[in-house]
Amino acid sequence: MDFGKFLETPEYDIKIITYRDIFQSEALENSLFGDEYKDLSAIIKLDSKDMEKMGIKSGNIVYLKNKYGDVVVKAVESDSENPHRGYAYMPNSPWSNSLVSDETGNTGVPNYKLIDASISDAKGEDIADIEKLEVVNV
Amino acid sequence: MANAMEIYQLLPKTNCKKCGKSTCMAFATALLSGELRLDDCPEILEDKYKQNYEKLSELVAPIENASETGMIIHEGKCTGCGNCVVACPVNVAEDPKGTGIGLAPKNDRVILKVVNGVVQKGNIHNCRRFGENKILCNACIETCPTKAIEFV
Amino acid sequence: MEDEDKYNVCTACSILCDDIEIETENNSITGVYTACRKGVSRIQTCNEPMPCTLDGKDTDVDTAISETANILKKSENPLIFGLGNSTEGAQKKAIELAKQLNANLDDTSSFCQGPVVEAILNGEINYTCTLDDVRNNADVIVYWGADPANSHPRHLSKYTYFPRGKYRQKGYDEDRTAIAIDVRESSTAEICGNNSYLIPPQKDEELIDALIDALSGKVPKVSFEMNKKRILELANILKKAKYGVIFAGLGLVYSLDNFEPIKRLMDKLNEVSNFYFNPMIGHYNMRGFNQNLFNETGYINRVKFKDSEVKHGYEYSVVELLKNKSVDSALIIGSDPMCSLPGSIARNLNKIPIITIDPCETLTSRKSRINIPSALSGVECGGSAIRMDGVRVNFEPMIETSKISDEEILRRVMEEL
Repeated sequence: MDFGKFLETPEYDIKIITYRDIFQSEALENSLFGDEYKDLSAIIKLDSKDMEKMGIKSGNIVYLKNKYGDVVVKAVESDSENPHRGYAYMPNSPWSNSLVSDETGNTGVPNYKLIDASISDAKGEDIADIEKLEVVNV
Repeated sequence: MANAMEIYQLLPKTNCKKCGKSTCMAFATALLSGELRLDDCPEILEDKYKQNYEKLSELVAPIENASETGMIIHEGKCTGCGNCVVACPVNVAEDPKGTGIGLAPKNDRVILKVVNGVVQKGNIHNCRRFGENKILCNACIETCPTKAIEFV
Repeated sequence: MEDEDKYNVCTACSILCDDIEIETENNSITGVYTACRKGVSRIQTCNEPMPCTLDGKDTDVDTAISETANILKKSENPLIFGLGNSTEGAQKKAIELAKQLNANLDDTSSFCQGPVVEAILNGEINYTCTLDDVRNNADVIVYWGADPANSHPRHLSKYTYFPRGKYRQKGYDEDRTAIAIDVRESSTAEICGNNSYLIPPQKDEELIDALIDALSGKVPKVSFEMNKKRILELANILKKAKYGVIFAGLGLVYSLDNFEPIKRLMDKLNEVSNFYFNPMIGHYNMRGFNQNLFNETGYINRVKFKDSEVKHGYEYSVVELLKNKSVDSALIIGSDPMCSLPGSIARNLNKIPIITIDPCETLTSRKSRINIPSALSGVECGGSAIRMDGVRVNFEPMIETSKISDEEILRRVMEEL
């Protein structure tokens, strides 16, 4: 994938909080490799004001990146009643794990729940199927 | 969910009273509550209202499918957690040793139970929202984490 | 329980619901009663059962088992990982195997609820109770960094908030208070209504200390936007509890550097009222693995066997072992580390031979040298497991299968060795 082109689009810092979703867990039990699991996993829920600022619309494909990895997912407007600017939500999955740090501060426990990353519009890039994720292809 | 005004706008608005109600607005309300069905209006069945009839059919479909108490279960949203099953006061009264203490139902008199991961209704005439002494019980609505139950 | 015979146990999560009825037709499950959505999807088994393969080609179980023994024999520093979805029988076999091989042994608790279970098992935290105790007694239930509505759907309805209990006969609205403390408005927080408290990420320890201050009659202070009144109001509910329980989710566990703040809070709570503490464990038998290894070695996870010695420490955690590339083979049992570990760490699995034992295809299995299909425990084979609260639950298979259990696979691998 040519990530060079993303450099031209503006990047914003975002803190990602991961969570669990029962419908995603159900999809996982049915088929890890199915479309449903991918559709319910490879998403990021953003605050509507943040989306406005970033020029990202619900359904847009976005590129998330930090020093531990990168991943392409779909942006969705958050259904949260309280604003959460600067924070975004992602269900826990191999897509969110693509961005989790390998540093554990000698605890052996990575910080899965709070991930610092940059977000930018991926302009129609495809969301990788689970088997195309970098983790299994290095 | 449709409201009475939306339904009214699509009705013939002739106040013909053939449905037994004095106005089309009253008919709209009766449709919403499940008291009357769309086909109880003879005029809307006429050809010139065909388009409106189709739109109305879509609007009232969830209501006409609802149980007599107006309960609708959105199966796609239900997680099968059973909160409503255990919180339902009728379930507790009818099945104190089963659903009342959080377990599987021990008899067939319960109103709500979880089947194949989704809540199912039965014995709906026992629901507190039904009958002459009905009360506006909200136990199954307020305990639902996904708003999967509503009454119309 | 009366009619115990007709009930099955659901192994989709560590509540281990023991009141599930099923209907079968020609040895396949056609109806499931009382299990939640997640449970039903587990009980109905996966769409992609695992084929038995060696180097990507179909093989028979005998060949796969003897090849597994060959790889492990040649390996100087093997890793055995998983077992949260295995029966206690399989877990005990895996511990034996790890001893025999001088292997590293770890499970998902290593990057999950391990610290909490450890504190409970080694007596650092004495305030723990069973879920049945909660049902019968609890009047204040606190979910901290946990969202059981999504992770453990029947937690509130079967045990904590909604059921009537021996000393809680009046129903949830009069008898019990459910509280959610979290960084986001979860579905569970929605149920808790006004008793939902939102805090910024990583501020859990600050709230803990503010609560301790409030419980000590001091003015609570936090650096983030949270009304003092709200903190006092929360402290007041906790103080008045006759039987309070805190259920700790991963949100709380991940936000703390160590267990000290929780100990401080529990000590204070038990000075002023009566409070218990329980972990929200995910996999159905993670606690079983922790207890079985603890009984054997005094450690709950992250061990390395070396002849008669047992080494333990963060450096033997699955995360550090893979990060440092110090293991030269991996036997994965009922787990999918390629999915669940950080990508930056899981990628190192590509560099060593992997053997996967699992009922279903996983991301790890697609990259494994050897895959051995096992019976799905709780559905296709029976056994026992330890519920999240430490209670042992026995279960029978729901249907018959020609697949063998992971316990049997491990036994045969050991025979080959």
